[in-house]
Amino acid sequence: MATTRIRGGVHPRYYKGLSADLPIERAGLPKRLEIPLSQHLGLPANPVVSKGDLVQPGDLIAEAPKLISANVHSPVAGKVRGIVQKPLPGGRMCDYVEIQVDEEATEAHEWQPQEVEIDTITPEALAKLFRDAGIVGMGGATFPTDVKFSPPPNVTLDVFILNAAECEPYLTCDNRIMIEHTKEVLRGIELAHAALRFDRVIIGVEKNKPEAIKALRKAIDEFVSPVAPPFELHELDVLYPQGAEKVLIQTTTGRTVPAGKLPFDVGAIAANVQTMFALYEAAYLGKPLVDRVVTVSGAGIPQPRNVRAAIGTPVTALAEMCGGIQETTTKVVAGGPMTGTALPSLDYSVTKGFSGLLFFTNAEYPDESPCIHCGSCVDVCPMRLMPLKLAAYAKAEKFEEAKATNLMDCFECGSCAWACPSNIKIVSWIKYAKNSVRVKGI
Amino acid sequence: MSSANEGFVLQTAPHAHGPMSVPRIMHAVNLSLIPVVVMSALFFGARVLMLYAVGIAACLGTEVIIKSIRGQSWRSILDGSALVTALLFVMVLPPSISPLLVAIGGVVSIAIGKEVFGGIGQNVFNPALVGRAFLSAAYPVAMTSWTPAREVFSFVPTGRTLATVDSVTGATPLAASRFEGIAEYYLRLFVGQTAGSIGSTSALVIMIGGIALIAMKIVRWQMVVSFLGTIAALTGIFWLIDPTTYADPLYHLLSGGVMFAAFYMISDMVTTPFTTKGTVIFGVGAGLLTVIIRLFGGFPEGVMFAILLMNAVTPIINRMNNRVYGASA
Repeated sequence: MATTRIRGGVHPRYYKGLSADLPIERAGLPKRLEIPLSQHLGLPANPVVSKGDLVQPGDLIAEAPKLISANVHSPVAGKVRGIVQKPLPGGRMCDYVEIQVDEEATEAHEWQPQEVEIDTITPEALAKLFRDAGIVGMGGATFPTDVKFSPPPNVTLDVFILNAAECEPYLTCDNRIMIEHTKEVLRGIELAHAALRFDRVIIGVEKNKPEAIKALRKAIDEFVSPVAPPFELHELDVLYPQGAEKVLIQTTTGRTVPAGKLPFDVGAIAANVQTMFALYEAAYLGKPLVDRVVTVSGAGIPQPRNVRAAIGTPVTALAEMCGGIQETTTKVVAGGPMTGTALPSLDYSVTKGFSGLLFFTNAEYPDESPCIHCGSCVDVCPMRLMPLKLAAYAKAEKFEEAKATNLMDCFECGSCAWACPSNIKIVSWIKYAKNSVRVKGI
Repeated sequence: MSSANEGFVLQTAPHAHGPMSVPRIMHAVNLSLIPVVVMSALFFGARVLMLYAVGIAACLGTEVIIKSIRGQSWRSILDGSALVTALLFVMVLPPSISPLLVAIGGVVSIAIGKEVFGGIGQNVFNPALVGRAFLSAAYPVAMTSWTPAREVFSFVPTGRTLATVDSVTGATPLAASRFEGIAEYYLRLFVGQTAGSIGSTSALVIMIGGIALIAMKIVRWQMVVSFLGTIAALTGIFWLIDPTTYADPLYHLLSGGVMFAAFYMISDMVTTPFTTKGTVIFGVGAGLLTVIIRLFGGFPEGVMFAILLMNAVTPIINRMNNRVYGASA
């Protein structure tokens, strides 16, 4: 399938070979889960359990107050130990529900297959499925999916895109889901298609995942459906950030999302592989979003793995499962290396947007040197921004000028900082400027 | 596990970095200049090697001294940029220049051309050309005394000389063609076996290094093409109107400092625009000014002033904003 290329982008080293061929393994149940109530964009969920309550797998433990938010469920059977405040990755404080895991009862629990009336599902029913199951964008953005799949009444969505680019280095969790749960992912997409009836159903996969592409092609050929989603498999060039929503829409449909607008505005909706897999599980197993696949990798861990872990699983448990953290580890990152969040310690737990847990051993982090105006950042920016100007404005605290130079169009893919020969932390400066614009109301 | 409370490095994303660094860029430029150094020694004698040494010592020494005075680390000279300045500076001087002038110009290049603005990345004008402009103004005679290149390669049947066509204002190639084949003459210009600045005569070796830099994305091809294209187009128009007065475009491209400037002067990142569009504006502007000065100005060669003038307007060019992705037309 022909694809159009965007301008810009970079070619980082991928390191996907460390884990791409390793089947998904289930993480052992830890003794205790710590489940944050704000794992998504929007308002935190309100706890509906308190200390001493007994919970079963799939029980609601925190409820979305209103739009925009997401429900949180217990992945296990156990007893609520209490609600504590702890930082999220990134530093914001959040309530965590602590659950003492009842291993036996959890192991004994089985999800019950559900009857799904495919051809009669309405958009409202689809949104309710998403909402009830607490599903959010699992590629990392964690935007509540019920909102995403409820377009305003004047908008028609004619294209669905499965975001299967997985363009971040190291990450292979979506790759494994596509290989091992191909049909289930397609069933999830089928459900969305049944409710919203797209003209095109595109699956966009980067070419560096041949096994996933093969599995998808086979599953599409064999797929039998009363609503017959018009699947198109697009093999995308390996280019970071191919999986950024605007970039993906451009490469697969040729449509340009206008600056400051949303994919809605060009009739497109994109969703991540694990998001659609979660939809499948919610609809066909009655299972809310209580676990996800995390790629544990990097030179600081002896055995990289793709681990299916309950939401709330402590990071230390994942590290131990992969052979324990090496002493040479200097940096721990939640997510991918281009956009992930560095963790100051291992005192964190798996959340819905937790695609990777990476252990880096780089001895040195080069210091910034003065900008030499090479323009590399301008060349690689997929939004055609001028990152060096934005960074300079931020340093000079000229936030109005930064905003006038299209600051808010940056989606922080990190290509500019990756390419910068002066090692300028351009994204940090841009985040600082954006935050200042918001705080000062510029 | 005790490591749960260990402090790991906290940084914002990205946590990966590409292969490019300032020293890598600068040293790539320096390496690409090795063929030019070799060729200049062949054409103008081993003496020019001594001139390079003097220039390098002057430039690096000046940077060390200024950094020390300002209480900064002298290690900035290891980033390779002062070496680039030194090499480029010597390469645009006449071969007969005295070592003392090289030293003076080298000091000016770094002190006035670069450090006065705050060091690497801050300067407005190309440091090597600042040094050369200073010498041109202060020592005009020394800066316009040209020596013919040695006959390293034999293009011409014995006994023929090219004394009449050694400078840009000298006889045009058409005049030269009365004495020898015109193709031979251009071959001579292309190889660089002609009078001219130490390192800027040989289009051949300049292009070897320059094309390597383009391949490494250190030099933007759009800059080179817009600059050379503008010169070729404008001189071509005049040549077509009156070929007896005006030299043809090929001559203008191969003579003087045009090829050297195209790959090594207008490609200086610090003093030229950082967008592709800005780059093209710079290239066209520098080409236009070069032709105007060459054809109508008081100086035989216009490249240096053309570039310095365009350096001055670069901050204005850089004020232009890109049209961002998805912007309304």
